[in-house]
Amino acid sequence: MENNNKKSRRDFIRSGTRLSILLTLGAVGGIAAKHLTAEKYVWQIDPFKCTQCGRCATSCVMTPSAVKCIHAFNLCGYCDLCGGYLKPDANKRSTAAEDQLCPTAAIARKFIEEPYFEYVINEDLCIGCAKCVKGCTSFGNGSLHLQIIHKRCLNCNECSIARLCPSQAISRVKASKAYNVKGSFTKDSKV
Amino acid sequence: MKNKGIVFFLIILAVVIVAVVAIDFNASKPDKQPANPYAFNVDPFSRIDTALILFKESRDLAISFSEPTGISFRGDELFVVGDQKMQIIEPTGKLMNEVSFDQKPTCVYASAEKIFVGFRKSITILSRDGVKIADWNSFSDSTVITSIAEKSGIVFVADAGKRIIRKFSFDGKAQGEIEGKSGNDQIHGFIIPSPYFDLAFNTDGELWVVNPGKHSLENYTVDGKLRTWWQASSIKIEGFSGCCNPAHFAFLPDGSFITSEKGLIRIKTYKPSGEFSGVVAAPSKFTENGHAPDLAIDNQGNIYALDADKKMLRLFVKK
Repeated sequence: MENNNKKSRRDFIRSGTRLSILLTLGAVGGIAAKHLTAEKYVWQIDPFKCTQCGRCATSCVMTPSAVKCIHAFNLCGYCDLCGGYLKPDANKRSTAAEDQLCPTAAIARKFIEEPYFEYVINEDLCIGCAKCVKGCTSFGNGSLHLQIIHKRCLNCNECSIARLCPSQAISRVKASKAYNVKGSFTKDSKV
Repeated sequence: MKNKGIVFFLIILAVVIVAVVAIDFNASKPDKQPANPYAFNVDPFSRIDTALILFKESRDLAISFSEPTGISFRGDELFVVGDQKMQIIEPTGKLMNEVSFDQKPTCVYASAEKIFVGFRKSITILSRDGVKIADWNSFSDSTVITSIAEKSGIVFVADAGKRIIRKFSFDGKAQGEIEGKSGNDQIHGFIIPSPYFDLAFNTDGELWVVNPGKHSLENYTVDGKLRTWWQASSIKIEGFSGCCNPAHFAFLPDGSFITSEKGLIRIKTYKPSGEFSGVVAAPSKFTENGHAPDLAIDNQGNIYALDADKKMLRLFVKK
């Protein structure tokens, strides 16, 4: 009877191997599950910290930059005299290239009704230089602002723009709140 | 000999690597970067020829508001609103009275007998000693009250949300509206891109209203008929720039306009005809991208500017 209760050496090794495999599988599964469910982080600009220095156009590893101007239409005044669209010393308020502030003509000025105009950013043309953002912030409502567009961003471990940003406006944010769009994102928002 | 060569080579290599790393590290610092071809410098527009500055800042009064929003002057008292309160302050800075509200005021106007405190969608009328007399709540949801003035028993209320001026009797009965339209094609009506829509009476009793989207000041009869207007739309110091300026204005005793601009913050003075006279306060006096200061003028023509960013009342007197 005593002999029957004793496990043989072979059984012991077999059980130990099974347990090890089970534990390993569990650990790998757990790590994978944690990895899948963990919050991811991406780089984004805080528009209220941005000083529109223009470095986003030249410092991004992407060409053109993954930083683009976006327009918070709910903040825009739809003005004829738009500080983001027209050069301060523009000859007249027109769509002539010489009067436009944007170096790549990435802003389309559309007539709505007298005297209102809509300004739409062409993302493919925008290089993220922030000239329009500076003009809009200095002379207008501040509806134009920069954001990192994630379908274009490589999400580098160390963002080359963040490293150089003089106002430290670029930081990691949760991927579930990947954009800090003015209007819904306010100065006092906690990311 | 062979070992010496290898050591020499390794030393040279190490020096080169250290030099490359050091140069790269320094070159990558923001202040060591070459000039940015895309930088847009607006500083030249904020520089003012000192010969144009006709006023000097004589004193500042610290105020106990976290978000001051409006100011008025009547008699020898300053009326300041913000947060959820109104303070009556002597020009010396002494606090005379404080009245609390359950919401944040947007503007204030003190007449000879009453104080009108504007909120986003309502008006509270107080006696001059701060006792509540009435509440006017019959405004629409899209109303944004930005300025109040009174003349001959009619209260004029600037509604930036509806882009009209509402008229009321003292007992709160509606007396009509001013839409700012005229037969003149150049005048479109009130264009209010953001909640800055100011109105005031000059010393001759004429109603003047800012049309900020047009960079103009317009004079209306109390019936709402356009009498005259002047416009100054320019990035230069003589004009108003941006989408909605002037944000606030007031009158000197001689009828000259004092204007306050948002964006590139500056306070300027214009003759009663609308011709540019000079500068009261240059942009360098204010916080960059801050709030346009509301204005109040005392009986001597001294200008009180409500600096919401520095949270103080700044007094400017003629040089």
